[in-house]
Amino acid sequence: MDNRPKIAFFQCQWCLYAPEDQEWVDKRLPENIHLIKVPCTGRIDPLFVLNAVQGGADGVVISGCLPEKCHFKEGNLAARRQLDAFSSFLDYIGYDEARVRFIWLDLQDRGRIQRELTEFESLLKKLNPAKSLATRVPETEGGAND
Amino acid sequence: MTELEQKIRAEAARLLSEGLVDVVMAFRKEDAPLRPQPAFFTCVEDLENLIYNGLCANNLANYLTRYPDETRIGMLVRGCENRSVNALVVEKQHSRQNLYLIGVPCTGIIDWRKVVALTGEDILGYEETDSSLHVRTKRQSYQLPRRELLHASCQRCVHPNPLSADIVLGEALPEGDPALIRERVEAFEALTRAERTAYFKQEAERCIRCYACREACPMCYCEECFVDHNSPRWTESGTTPAGTHAWHIIRAFHQTGRCTSCGACERACPMDIQMTYLTDKLGKDMWDSYQFAAGMDAKSQPPFASFTLDDRKHFQAGGMHS
Repeated sequence: MDNRPKIAFFQCQWCLYAPEDQEWVDKRLPENIHLIKVPCTGRIDPLFVLNAVQGGADGVVISGCLPEKCHFKEGNLAARRQLDAFSSFLDYIGYDEARVRFIWLDLQDRGRIQRELTEFESLLKKLNPAKSLATRVPETEGGAND
Repeated sequence: MTELEQKIRAEAARLLSEGLVDVVMAFRKEDAPLRPQPAFFTCVEDLENLIYNGLCANNLANYLTRYPDETRIGMLVRGCENRSVNALVVEKQHSRQNLYLIGVPCTGIIDWRKVVALTGEDILGYEETDSSLHVRTKRQSYQLPRRELLHASCQRCVHPNPLSADIVLGEALPEGDPALIRERVEAFEALTRAERTAYFKQEAERCIRCYACREACPMCYCEECFVDHNSPRWTESGTTPAGTHAWHIIRAFHQTGRCTSCGACERACPMDIQMTYLTDKLGKDMWDSYQFAAGMDAKSQPPFASFTLDDRKHFQAGGMHS
């Protein structure tokens, strides 16, 4: 597992993958992918993404609903503007933009999440581990250390 | 006393004596000639201490959020302060009708550190004209060129004139060149990834976490900052690399579409850390993506508050990364 790229995977809980896909995400996700379920992509503060990056994530995946399909009407619209700007801001200080990937899913996208994650992982293998901003000491229970 | 100071005092005196405002925010003389301080005048007699010159370094809009909405405030505004006020009005931090803006076209703020580097610290007197500064120390007098001693963000200033002041004192100045900010950001973008990271780390890791940049910034008015929140703690609060990186990244990012490039953060920093290369990048992105510049009027919502379904043109629906 150690030589596989580490991926932080933010998933909107309303994306409603096909049951078998959701089961795969919940139960059979490879160990190098860390799942963080959120009530909406709008809940993802850029700080969460930064914490993943500082914690040593080689890549960040954000999976949310299509623009007009947000459970909360427009949470994903807010998230898209912010997170897109944030990923290019991280690029500006040296964290490759390609390491932050957005997957906007539709109900019909059966099996797509596995494909995307596999493809993303092979891309990250080519990019080598992201060390430049990985400055956080290992987590203990209860959040960041001081 | 300069002619401009006289006009400002007269206007402030009129506002106070006619009871049009409760307080006038401007600057006051201090014993250290290079460090005039923000002042809050509530009676006409105090106005004799009012001073205005290139060393008035604070962004006065910073103090706007410390008054309740119904307080009628008269305030001195330069170009950047006026834009900060606009941005604060958009964010409903004060009603525009309770503000009276005394506009002054700004010839730029002098970086007192640059002056002290040339003359030493024992300064007894200071005067300035449009083109030069006269500094008197115990031993000798200096005549210094104004333009070179401006703070870096003022050298790059685009809008030196107040945009929506109720009265403007002094002649309007020519607009600055927007290419200066853009070129600086583009030059940084052109560096290699490793060089960019190295520069960012070199700047951020000098940080002593005093939060002077936050206190000086008119747009940092949250009652509880994300770094002060401790249960749960969102980010490391010490001067560890992780903590200082996170502070500089997120502080800048919270200014997206709100920063008016006044440079108050850098002027306040005791460690002389560069910060505007971060906020200017975000400003440039907001302009390129949404044609938005912060504070240009008191109505337009910043991009992060005005998302629409039409964003599809920025984000391919169902696609990967735009």
